[in-house]
Amino acid sequence: MNLYQPYLMRIEEAVDETPDTRTFKLVFQDPKVAESFDFQAGQFGEYSAFGEGESTFCIASSPTRKGYIECSFKEAGKVTGALRKLGVGDTIGFRGPYGNRFPVGQMEGHDVVFIAGGIGLAPVRCVIWNVLDQREKFGDVTIVYGARSVGDLVYKRELEGWAKRSDVKLWQAVEPGGEAPDWKGEIGLVPAIVEKAAPRSADAFAVVCGPPIMIKLTLPVLEKLGFSEERVFTTLENRMKCGLGKCGRCNIGPVYVCKDGPVFSAKELKALPQEL
Amino acid sequence: MKELRQIAAKLLTDGAVKVVIGWEEGPRGARAAFVTRPEDAERLIFDARCVQNLATYLSPRRRHVVGLGKAAVVAKPCDAKAIAGLIRESQVKREDVVILGVRCGGVVREPTMPASLTAETVADRCGICETREPTLYDHLIGEPQPEPPRVTRREEQIAALMQKTPQERFAFWSQQLERCIRCHACREVCPMCFCEQCVADKTRPVWIESSSHPRANFAWQMTRVMHQAGRCVDCGECERACPVGIPLNLLTRYTAQSVEKRFGHKPSDDPSIAAPIGTFRSDDSQEFIR
Amino acid sequence: MSTRILTKADLAGLVADLLSAGTRVVAPARVDNPQVAAYRPIASFDEARLDGPLPPRSPKEFFLPPTEVLLRWQKKKDGIELQEVATEHPKQVILGARPCDVAAVEILDKVMGWDYRDELWFGRREATTIVSLACRGVDKSCFCTAVGSGPDAQKGADILLVPSDGDAYLAQILTPKGQALVEAHAQRFGEASGAEAAKSFREAATRKVASNLPIEATKLSGWLADNYEHELWKRLAMRCHGCGACAAVCPTCHCFDIVDEPEGIDRGVRRRNWDTCQAGKFTVHASGHNPRGTQNERFRQRVLHKFSIYPKRFGELLCTGCGRCARACPAGMDLPEILGQIAKLAGAGVPTGGTK
Repeated sequence: MNLYQPYLMRIEEAVDETPDTRTFKLVFQDPKVAESFDFQAGQFGEYSAFGEGESTFCIASSPTRKGYIECSFKEAGKVTGALRKLGVGDTIGFRGPYGNRFPVGQMEGHDVVFIAGGIGLAPVRCVIWNVLDQREKFGDVTIVYGARSVGDLVYKRELEGWAKRSDVKLWQAVEPGGEAPDWKGEIGLVPAIVEKAAPRSADAFAVVCGPPIMIKLTLPVLEKLGFSEERVFTTLENRMKCGLGKCGRCNIGPVYVCKDGPVFSAKELKALPQEL
Repeated sequence: MKELRQIAAKLLTDGAVKVVIGWEEGPRGARAAFVTRPEDAERLIFDARCVQNLATYLSPRRRHVVGLGKAAVVAKPCDAKAIAGLIRESQVKREDVVILGVRCGGVVREPTMPASLTAETVADRCGICETREPTLYDHLIGEPQPEPPRVTRREEQIAALMQKTPQERFAFWSQQLERCIRCHACREVCPMCFCEQCVADKTRPVWIESSSHPRANFAWQMTRVMHQAGRCVDCGECERACPVGIPLNLLTRYTAQSVEKRFGHKPSDDPSIAAPIGTFRSDDSQEFIR
Repeated sequence: MSTRILTKADLAGLVADLLSAGTRVVAPARVDNPQVAAYRPIASFDEARLDGPLPPRSPKEFFLPPTEVLLRWQKKKDGIELQEVATEHPKQVILGARPCDVAAVEILDKVMGWDYRDELWFGRREATTIVSLACRGVDKSCFCTAVGSGPDAQKGADILLVPSDGDAYLAQILTPKGQALVEAHAQRFGEASGAEAAKSFREAATRKVASNLPIEATKLSGWLADNYEHELWKRLAMRCHGCGACAAVCPTCHCFDIVDEPEGIDRGVRRRNWDTCQAGKFTVHASGHNPRGTQNERFRQRVLHKFSIYPKRFGELLCTGCGRCARACPAGMDLPEILGQIAKLAGAGVPTGGTK
């Protein structure tokens, strides 16, 4: 099998998170692959809609949950448009897992803060469940999640579940004007909510993902709160094609995002050319 | 040349423009120059090696050039036709560009060639060109120029191709287009390819496949040439840019001949002349559109 | 390894032997335009133009075709069926390729092989024996000596031919693959002679090229990495159209795209196609955001990838100094000139060429 040959996966479940965002639960057609497949939080894959092409997204489920993977994607182009038309029982292609990982092991024994905007919750959710599935190994868990409007919040059922847990502090926010009449969460932009939440920063880790502008404005807030830039991580969403460090597309400065990333610490991010 | 440099320096000194786009001496012959300081106007040259059509740089797609501010551009008659085309199609406002028209006696095929024109070195398009000076300009520069050597090799080649059967012509173009690697250099250098998003880049749906195989290569060149019908100013840049040497000007020139025959339209540097495509007239010669 | 002599008549015989054994032979050869040669499969030695003009395109397409099928798929009742493509390829010999073109192939082995091995690339690599031919230097745009190579470089070649006395080539056998070719056609190769003539050919060619751009491009990577926001980048690419002709002719540019294309209502192919960082859409996100929005930024990427990113990552420049980009550019962008400017800023040699 050459590098570009995908595994075939069956769509086991399909959930519409928002009017344009969908989550698939996928299982490998080949039981041998299903058994041997392993990945780490933060890794990504190339998902194909046959006839339309491949698209890059992270694996949104946790490596602690075996036997399937999940991915969430927003319809933005040709491939995601075609993927969104697929449903339970349909076949898609998957290449991966590719790229590096969030240092979940290093986070053990420490507080962890998760910050996400919009569909950026997908890669963060992978780490959230990775942590929550071994809850006793970590300190305080804080989640700050914002979206443009209530309708744009993804993983709504899981958000409800996290809100009810006493061992998770969840801050949900929508942008001004995006609230529904019964909205009980915050109104404002993610960086401001992080500042308001002011999670304890001593020895804490933070995982940040969302639109480039959100990341750009959130990192200084974390710095102000005293987070070490070596313990703040994000994942980059560069355009990719091969995922294998060959095609040259995701290259920024000295790094190939698909191989050296997609996970970078805030310190590493600072050293990169500002081509984000 | 002295006159050109003086006018360019004055425009920059007076702040009338931020950049003068002209030609300079490069390692491989004359090439585009972007002069932003009056003292650098000394770099500007004009001779028969100034092949490139500089109107391309006025297209709004060239954000890095547009970002410099208001431009003056040195224009041969054929370049002025492209500028007129951009004005005609609302890509550039006449008042936003200062046109330094130059009288032209034809150019060579490649800027690396010596500036003296011979029947061998003269560009095909200049061999039949009758325009010695532009009419669209703010300053007209240079002495009256002699006729370039008259060569009709390209016209003869087109006539010979049209004598062939459709099957033979298809075989000829199949062989030529087999080399196409779909780099789209022909589009990128074209002054009249100003679309913000080209139909060849559209993905929903894919109108033209991006791979280089006969089906897609034919689709691409046919589309490009049809979109240039009535727009093409015959500057020859597409063929010159083609890294695999496809004789693209045979296609564009034949199309221009057809447009002239059917619509009586020739490339012109008068922006007020209506473009044959994109113009509706109740007395159109074609019945279906009336 | 060893050295032999190969006369032109024996070379013609060798080509005939290879062709009759079913091996594809690719060489610089005549095309319809007499001014031009192209690397292409030849049907006899007569078609080859070993001492002719530099082919405008490098032979990289015989390892990484402009378009190639990655897989085929077909819709079946119970799902999708995939059909793999072959990663083994018929034998081919690339004959008379320039040392700059041949070096590129070995340079690209690095990116094609790190961590993940690209079998499509290496399948062709393994099926190919490369017999290069020392070059006498093409024109002022040659700068192989500035990138640490030379007109007689051995890198990437299995056998290097150097013009020697009369009609003969001195054949330097460089790899086991080269040795195998010589052994399989032993009667075509004679005892080595004419070393002096070959040596003076090499020296003359090196002198000729070295005067074009007397810099050490291998020393630019630090400056490039540290001067990402240098004022130079803001004006350097003004005349660049982003047409990508440079990448198309470049022996080392290897960026590609992957696309699906239908071959019917229920079947299709996935292909990889040459692509270029000079195209505006290369980095555009699905959201429309483009991290490299202007041509100045895109041109900087091309220079950095070749002279900083690749050497830092893989230990060698992603450029062999062939000069094709400068020759192909319709706008007069000139990489040797630009390298000269950067070298001046970086203090890595002083360019003496007549350019600014």
